[in-house]
Amino acid sequence: MARVSPTNGFKPSASWKVWLGVVPFFLFAILFLLLPSFRLLTASFSTPEGAFTLDNIRQLFTEPLIVNSYRLSIQISAVTALGGGIFGFLLAYSVTVGGLPKQLRSVLITFSGVASNFAGVPLAFAFVATLGRQGFITAVLKNIFNLDVYASGFNLYSFAGLSLVYMYFQFPLMVLIMAPALDGLKKEWREAAENLGANTTQYWLKVAMPVLLPSILGSMILLFGNAFGAYATAYALTGGRIGLVTIQIGAQIRGDVLYNPGLGYAMAVGMVFIMAVSLTGYSLLQAKTERWLK
Amino acid sequence: MRTNKNLAYHVLALFVIAATMLAACGGGGGAGSSSDFDWSTATSAADGGGMDALIAAAQAEGMLTTIALPHDWCNYGEVIEAFKAKYGLEVNELNPDAGSADEIEAVKANKDNKGPQAPDVLDVGFSWGESSKAEGLLSPYKVSTWDTIPADAKDAEGFWYGDYYGVLAFLVNTDVQPDVPQDWADLLDPKYAGQIALSGDPRVSNQAIQSVYAAALANGGSLDDAQAGLDYFSELNATGNLIPLIANNGLVATGEIPVRITWDYNALAAIDTFEGNPNATVVIPATGRFAGVYVQAISAYSPQPAAARLWQEFLYSDEGQLLWMKGYCHPIREPDLRARGVIPQELLDKLPDVTGAVFPTLDQLTAANELITRNWDTAVGSDIK
Repeated sequence: MARVSPTNGFKPSASWKVWLGVVPFFLFAILFLLLPSFRLLTASFSTPEGAFTLDNIRQLFTEPLIVNSYRLSIQISAVTALGGGIFGFLLAYSVTVGGLPKQLRSVLITFSGVASNFAGVPLAFAFVATLGRQGFITAVLKNIFNLDVYASGFNLYSFAGLSLVYMYFQFPLMVLIMAPALDGLKKEWREAAENLGANTTQYWLKVAMPVLLPSILGSMILLFGNAFGAYATAYALTGGRIGLVTIQIGAQIRGDVLYNPGLGYAMAVGMVFIMAVSLTGYSLLQAKTERWLK
Repeated sequence: MRTNKNLAYHVLALFVIAATMLAACGGGGGAGSSSDFDWSTATSAADGGGMDALIAAAQAEGMLTTIALPHDWCNYGEVIEAFKAKYGLEVNELNPDAGSADEIEAVKANKDNKGPQAPDVLDVGFSWGESSKAEGLLSPYKVSTWDTIPADAKDAEGFWYGDYYGVLAFLVNTDVQPDVPQDWADLLDPKYAGQIALSGDPRVSNQAIQSVYAAALANGGSLDDAQAGLDYFSELNATGNLIPLIANNGLVATGEIPVRITWDYNALAAIDTFEGNPNATVVIPATGRFAGVYVQAISAYSPQPAAARLWQEFLYSDEGQLLWMKGYCHPIREPDLRARGVIPQELLDKLPDVTGAVFPTLDQLTAANELITRNWDTAVGSDIK
């Protein structure tokens, strides 16, 4: 936090006083983000007794249970990012460009703001009450439409069921991110395209998609990261039976026979790495989109 | 105007910094004991000058921190209320749904914490007593009624002592599943598809681990061979009868989990709570009657050492033992209470018939625990369908 050079866009007269207001923020970031991350990194190289070891990092790539947990986490994050992304995009499109009534838009945005933050145990049990074996929707389908979803193979307490639950916070997030991007599609572009003789398909292929694609992909990456870190929802719904990375970390640090916090830390470092890659991808793609949305 | 604005910013910035610094200096101190005696070293009430001195010291501490005591488990709700009323202490209850491993973890994680997050006393599965003692997490103490606790259910030095036992049973919601299973083998029937659940995660919960152990007895295993239990659950999972949801009485009541594998005392208490809505019944399985003992212990890092000791004295008094019995548990001093004829007949009549229940030895339990926690993942498979 030394003196700020004029090139940084600050007024040359700016002195240390300018920084006073952001001190709490930096303090917070150092104490609650930087230090713990650093601790995570150092701890992943130590045994439960505190000696240096490379074992934990090696196990990330060799222990079948752990490799499998990464595979599972990536799988569920990818599936729900793609599904939630497509569904969320279509919803956002229909209320922005699609010409649905304006009131509907504010309703959807408000709902998305709430639903995208609905997670953990309450979400799991809301789904149990809705789509569980004795859930409300299950009962309605069974008694009114004579459709027994459980007899026909659906099971809430499975990978598919968990994906469905994740979708509930995935697609609203997509709506929230995509709505402003879709607002940036200027009417004039479409008019210009039509005046030059383009049909709808051509307009979408040549104009709208190239503008929107980075934003769609970027948002899906964000959705991926959003699902990747979820823990409580999965634990409440499947009692740790679907071994996502987060659940395996929990098993390592909740201590019993499996007690090896170092390995838990190493797995967390692996997660941080995957998140860092996906967030980098997100910002690169966002930067591409920004050009059009000015 | 400008200067005013600048001044305002500076004042605001200073204010924010001050607030941050103040917030960083938060925290609280625990109350010290009023007497000079250090109760954390007391191995009996007599060490500190008898029960009256213990009560006074506990009242000076003013609080007891417990963990993993659901109110409908062995009538703990009433036990806690009675303790509060009798001695006027606050009881600070942490995570009622924790498993035994979580309790031990809470002690380890709060070694240096003398605040309300550190548990004073533990109620854990039988095998955790010895392992926690070995890790130096417990503080030895012998209650006044020590001699009436059966020798094979306590640590000779007083680090842990059995508190009650029950057998594993099935709680069945008969509104949803009128066809009541009578034994472990019945649970494999396809009519129970997606209807059976354990009461915990067999990697951390004593109740769930022992459910797997119990199933071994009914499936060609023995107290020395818990593998048969893993095989049984592997099959139960493969048939699709076992769901991964962790069972609690609410889920049994809604019918989401029509068959819950749990301790008989929990199942019987649940039926009282349901009051006929839904109709439910408790089945003590015909074979594989497995008695599980829990133990009490005091944390070596207990922030309220006198309150912790007073709590144990209360639990092992006739009064405390009978309160547990009211919750359908067999208190560890039951033989002594029976011999002295202090158990009201109606309590005796309410206890389930568990003839033929077997008690594993500590070594058998430890071996079974290790086997089950290690292999549960592979037995049921982190399967994806």
